[in-house]
Amino acid sequence: MQLQYFLLLAAALFCIGIYGLVTSRNAIRVLMSIELLLNAVNINLMSFSNYLDSEGIRGQVFTVFVITIAAAEAAVGLAIVLSIYRNRGTVDMEQFNLLKW
Amino acid sequence: MTELLAQSAWLIPCYPLMGMLLSILWFPSITRRTGPRPAGYVNLIMTFIAFAHGVLAFPAVWQHAPITLEATWLEVAGLKLSLPIEISGLTIGAIVLVTGLNFLSQFYAVGYLEMDWGWARFFSLLALFEAGMCALVLCDSLFFSYVILEMLTLGTYLLVGFWFNQSLVVTGARDAFLTKRIGDLFLLMGVLALYPLAGTWNFSELAQWAQTAQVDPKVITLVGLALLAGPMGKCAQFPLHLWLDEAMEGPIPSTILRNSVVVATGAWLLVKLEPVLALSPTVMNAAIAIGAVSAIGGTLISIAQIDAKRALSYLVTAYMGLTFIAVGTGQTQAALLLCLTHAMAMGLLVMGTGSIILNNITQDLTQLGGLWSRRPISGLAVAIGGLGLVALPPLGGFWAMLKLADGLWTTRPVLVAIVLLVNALAAFSVTRTFGAIFAGKRQQMSERSPENIWTITVPMTLLLGFTLHLPIILDALDLLPNWAVLNKDVALLLTWSSIFGISISGVLYIGQAVARPIHLPWKPLQDLFAYDFYTPRLYRSSVVGSVDLVSRLTDWVDRYLVDGLVNFVGIASIFGGETLKYGNSGQMQFYALTITTGAIALIAILLTFLN
Repeated sequence: MQLQYFLLLAAALFCIGIYGLVTSRNAIRVLMSIELLLNAVNINLMSFSNYLDSEGIRGQVFTVFVITIAAAEAAVGLAIVLSIYRNRGTVDMEQFNLLKW
Repeated sequence: MTELLAQSAWLIPCYPLMGMLLSILWFPSITRRTGPRPAGYVNLIMTFIAFAHGVLAFPAVWQHAPITLEATWLEVAGLKLSLPIEISGLTIGAIVLVTGLNFLSQFYAVGYLEMDWGWARFFSLLALFEAGMCALVLCDSLFFSYVILEMLTLGTYLLVGFWFNQSLVVTGARDAFLTKRIGDLFLLMGVLALYPLAGTWNFSELAQWAQTAQVDPKVITLVGLALLAGPMGKCAQFPLHLWLDEAMEGPIPSTILRNSVVVATGAWLLVKLEPVLALSPTVMNAAIAIGAVSAIGGTLISIAQIDAKRALSYLVTAYMGLTFIAVGTGQTQAALLLCLTHAMAMGLLVMGTGSIILNNITQDLTQLGGLWSRRPISGLAVAIGGLGLVALPPLGGFWAMLKLADGLWTTRPVLVAIVLLVNALAAFSVTRTFGAIFAGKRQQMSERSPENIWTITVPMTLLLGFTLHLPIILDALDLLPNWAVLNKDVALLLTWSSIFGISISGVLYIGQAVARPIHLPWKPLQDLFAYDFYTPRLYRSSVVGSVDLVSRLTDWVDRYLVDGLVNFVGIASIFGGETLKYGNSGQMQFYALTITTGAIALIAILLTFLN
């Protein structure tokens, strides 16, 4: 097993996350895509820490922090979605284009 | 005393200038209550002072060495513009003629403009002309002559445009200004090009320079042609002659001046420039050609006119053409003599016809007639003016023409034939004018025609007397050609040509044998002369048309290409902003896509450049 495969997997996951982030119409799925992105990052951090910094494993510490912040961010994100839903009665991203030109 | 007066002859142009300034006081907007008449009287007095000064100074300079004065006008690095003044018999004589004719025509104007409120403007402009002409004859510098000629061009514009609420007056003044301006601008080119060649603008020094000048013949030909173009416009020569026809829209008292003296300003300049022009035979031949064409064309057109004033104005073109011929053959004395006799006779002719027009309203020769028994004095004025104009002894015109033709007899016999032809045609024309006004049946417009009041008749009869006495005056001044050495054949031919013209015209227009209006067998030819060779149409299709087209084109280019280019930048920016704002789609996901794409692009660029 080599570092590159992990990185490629993380990149693939990141790309899938980006695709989901850009194309999803449901706001919740957008948040889920963001989670995918964060997880891709985490895979990166973990693999770097394993192959390059196995003594210090600072990447794992970073990953713990990312997971923590991701949880908090998902909570805030869901709260925002909930409050938009209360006002507009929908979570369709294409209905939220009020701040244009 | 006369010596002192001669020394101070440079004051003469200042008198009418003072009169001009004083006239302003009686403009209707300044003196609102008492009318403009004092403006005329003040100018009459000023003109008389100028005339008296000239007459008294004349004996001191006649047959004496000329007095020259010089004042510096401007001195800058490398150029000294001095104003030289030459007080000689010739210049004072010209001043006497100018101020004398001015006095008479202003006197005439007092009667003629009786029913007009514009005296202040009219007399101040006449005074401007008088001052300009006196200054022109006094100043001995080509540069200042040009300055004065331009002032007189502006004066012509204002004077022709005197009754500016008439549309024909406005177009006439416009044409008079522009046509003379074109000539003046060519003259300016010549004046400017002459300085590097001769290093001076003084006529006397130019004459000295011309005696020994070694110049490239092409250069001096071009300069000479430019110098010729100025007088060509001033003297209403072909093809710059239309303005004089249209200038007949101005008041008659100013017409007297214009026809007699003002157009002669160009001839004066030409005479002064003769030594320079003589450097190039091409220029002299051009002067002769222009003069000959103008003389023949002018007389032919004059015969076909039905407007009394225009019939005379084309004769002015013709006689100025004769002075062109005289200068072109180097006979400056004959040219000056011709100017003198023409000024007197033509002034008298215009005064006489003006006197008829004032009381008969119409200027149409076909509507006048049968006035001899009722208007004998005006009739005499027209008759003597006409006879004084053509070569009929013993009146003045004969001697001038004799001098001209005598000088041409041995060298250029063709020109003698032209002079004879022009003389016969001019005799025909003046007799026709006389016959149409004074002979024949009275018509509706001339049914009741009283002789004029004294303010018109007195100057007319005074000028009549001067015209009659002109040969005696010339004789006293020793200006007549010497009869003993003259070619008698020329004299006889000239006399016969006049008699020929007068008698044919007399049979046709004074006798009642031929039905009027007389038609030529070929109508287009008659129309061609009557409409002045269609010169307005010619101008409009050539110069006016092309300038108009070019200016429309440049206007279009400026409006649409130059402005359009600048406006396009602005419009493109606006369009860009208006279009690019749709990039702000309001879709959060679109922004995310943009960020991602941007990041990828940035990384790609960085990678490309780092490797």
